[in-house]
Amino acid sequence: MADTTMGTAGARPTLFLRNATGLVKAWSTFDAFVYSFWSVNLITLGLYGMSYVYTVPDGQLLAAILVFGLLTTFLVVTYAMLVAVMPRTGGDYAWQSRVLGGGLGFVLSMTGWWFTLFLWAPIYANILVVQFFSPLAYTLGWTGVATFFTSKTGIFVSCLIVLAFVSIVVTLGMETYARIQKVCFWIGLAGLAVVCGLLLFYSQSDFQNAFNREATSLFGAPANAYQGTIDAASKSFGGSSFGTFAFGPLLLLLPWLAFYLLWPNWGATLYGEVRGAKELRKPFWSMFAGLWVTVAMVALVVILINKTIGWNFYQSANAAYWNNLFAVQGAPAPPVPIWPYPVMFAGFLVDNHLFQALLIIVMGLWFFGWAGTLFLSSTRVIFAAAFDRVLPSWAASISAKRRVPYGALILMIVPALVISAIYAYRPDFTSVFLDATAVLALTFLATVVAAIILPWRRKDLYEASPIARYKVAGVPLITVVGVITGLFLLFMLYEWSFNPDNLYGTSLQKTPNSVIYFVATYVVAVVIYVAARIYRSRQGIDLARIHHEIPVE
Amino acid sequence: MPKVFFATDLHGSEVCWRKFLNAAKFYEADVLICGGDMTGKAMIPIVEENGHYTVTIASDRQVVSAGEVGDIESQIRRRGYYPLHVTPERLQVLDENADVRKETFRQIMLDGVRRWMDMASEKLRGSGVRLFVCPGNDDEMEVDDVVRESDMVELGEGRMVEIDGFTMISTGWSNHTPWNTHREETEEKLGERIEAMAKQIPDSARAIFNLHCPPYRSGLDEAPAIDSDLKLMHGGRALRPVGSTAVRQAIDKHQPLLSLHGHIHESKGAVKLGKTLSINPGSAYEEGILMAAVINLDAKKGIKSYQLVNG
Repeated sequence: MADTTMGTAGARPTLFLRNATGLVKAWSTFDAFVYSFWSVNLITLGLYGMSYVYTVPDGQLLAAILVFGLLTTFLVVTYAMLVAVMPRTGGDYAWQSRVLGGGLGFVLSMTGWWFTLFLWAPIYANILVVQFFSPLAYTLGWTGVATFFTSKTGIFVSCLIVLAFVSIVVTLGMETYARIQKVCFWIGLAGLAVVCGLLLFYSQSDFQNAFNREATSLFGAPANAYQGTIDAASKSFGGSSFGTFAFGPLLLLLPWLAFYLLWPNWGATLYGEVRGAKELRKPFWSMFAGLWVTVAMVALVVILINKTIGWNFYQSANAAYWNNLFAVQGAPAPPVPIWPYPVMFAGFLVDNHLFQALLIIVMGLWFFGWAGTLFLSSTRVIFAAAFDRVLPSWAASISAKRRVPYGALILMIVPALVISAIYAYRPDFTSVFLDATAVLALTFLATVVAAIILPWRRKDLYEASPIARYKVAGVPLITVVGVITGLFLLFMLYEWSFNPDNLYGTSLQKTPNSVIYFVATYVVAVVIYVAARIYRSRQGIDLARIHHEIPVE
Repeated sequence: MPKVFFATDLHGSEVCWRKFLNAAKFYEADVLICGGDMTGKAMIPIVEENGHYTVTIASDRQVVSAGEVGDIESQIRRRGYYPLHVTPERLQVLDENADVRKETFRQIMLDGVRRWMDMASEKLRGSGVRLFVCPGNDDEMEVDDVVRESDMVELGEGRMVEIDGFTMISTGWSNHTPWNTHREETEEKLGERIEAMAKQIPDSARAIFNLHCPPYRSGLDEAPAIDSDLKLMHGGRALRPVGSTAVRQAIDKHQPLLSLHGHIHESKGAVKLGKTLSINPGSAYEEGILMAAVINLDAKKGIKSYQLVNG
């Protein structure tokens, strides 16, 4: 017999293990934290998403970030508990199909993790342009390159670059990319420290002088572009004060913040592959730390932006840029015709273009360390549906030599190419892309509903899980946190869908293209499921039975 | 034509074993095949002291009364562990003496297998369902003797058996693993073991290879990479093929109709290797979920349909 080992708690042994396959030592919570931290990427998604908060000028951003962090903690607890009960590859799909039923689970999770992820490719591409290509090209004096990426063809090319990058990463394999991510993580953090250091040690007047200097030098703007930016924005924007606090506007900021802070659970579709995930504390701490370290960093960055760049200027720059881009009536072009990238602004404080370019490149690692996982979770969800025979088996095919999941990749890349072309050449479809966050939130809501009813719908699994002992006044904790999370998600879904001022550009009444697109995706999902049921039935396979519990007694 | 229900790597989970036995009726299966690694990986002491019982399950220390011990035992068995009643003195002996610990573990495991064989007899007697068990690399050699004693369960290891016109060969031996378990050998020896059975098969187009270890680089053998200290690398996201080249060569050479595998719990899937449909249903024994494959065999088509299920 193989040697035995022993687990202990206190002085007495509590568990005797024998040597057996798969008994590995502790899973690194840090690795999972890094994944979660990347998912709520404060530079790429964070700065991009927060550039829209000028639309709620009376909203206190710092307070809203903290409130969002608090409410999203309930989402983290809900997902961590689901992972502890069912650490299955496929995440949302697996949980929804096993608790809500196969058909409902397929439709709700596939629309979120498959059909909506197409929309994120152009969003990633836009972030790559405004945070990397354009600022770098302007800094190096390549104005033609910078303006190319603002053209329709340039936008489409940037989408192709993102899709090519994602494909290469998937082809290289997750092990190689995990190494790349770690390098990007540490160098990116060093870059952020430099940005924060610059914003901390220089004053607002230093920044005004630096901005005016570089605006002329790099963009050919007239003198005092700092004030010129505020003036340009003032035609369509009433200004913003960092100290303003009002509860209503604070709540209206939450749907904007969801763009980047709602995803600490992004890796939940992968936890099924991680031994040790069944212990509640590991998925919880990895997601919780990913969320709150980001919240703390964002708070620091926002405070430093207010101190050195100036809150009203920063929001005016955002307003001037977006209002001009969206052709808001009366909104003139800003003197600096580029997305207000705080990293670039911080770089201006050092009068050296080489340093500025280097800073943009280093901070670009926040993109390249993050973007490779664009379709990773989607491929896992497609795998799960293929294993269940709802999708054809080739959807889960993996190439023999390089282990590339080419079936799932084709199902993601080809539609993403079409969607990217629509994004680039049909601006009237913009609202569809703004809805990308809302549809994923709807998928999360379905999972949260599954979590709420789990103790009753899958009583056996729940009672055998480590979360069964957590209760509040006799009510299962997963139900309590699920209800709070559900209310939070419902509030945001309501605002996205019905905000009377179309604040987020996604109100159903004002965006018929979005309504058509998303209704179509749900219809397609239903059609796929029904067709699979009929087709498999002819093969003697009853799809409805896949998730049925075999009686124990 | 036979409908086969295949599950593997139950690792002592009594809930999964009960579901496995009930699957015959639930899926109207004619043949049940348990692919190996039946026995549990851990025993949890229930310490009797001063009229109460102390036990720690999943880091949760509980002190229960005699009336609650039965429920605690069920919880432990459900996870695939073995409950072990001890006094504080006996616990200390187990803690300090590796030989006593090994022997206790061996006994409790074999008792567990006997218990399962009895349950199978009780459940399937007179049903007409055939049940094959082929112990895996994590199962001690003595498990085979316990299975042989059963009047309902047929031992698969090292044999060629007929199933309604189809031929099945089985082995639970694997290539070497970092854990140095009970049925491991070199690829060369594993190849010889499989070939000794495979060469007797009359018709590959009606053959089933029930080989615990999955074929190398088949997509059914992807396990999280670990370092020399058995720690997961890159948060478990780095996957490596760890299947057997001998199994792969045997499938490539003989091209059986169907090959059934387990061993790598994370690598659930079904792939075509030439003419062979190879299946690893995966395992989620810790949650009490029975992951399995239902295969409809057909005299003309070979495999009429298959489905991976979770029950």
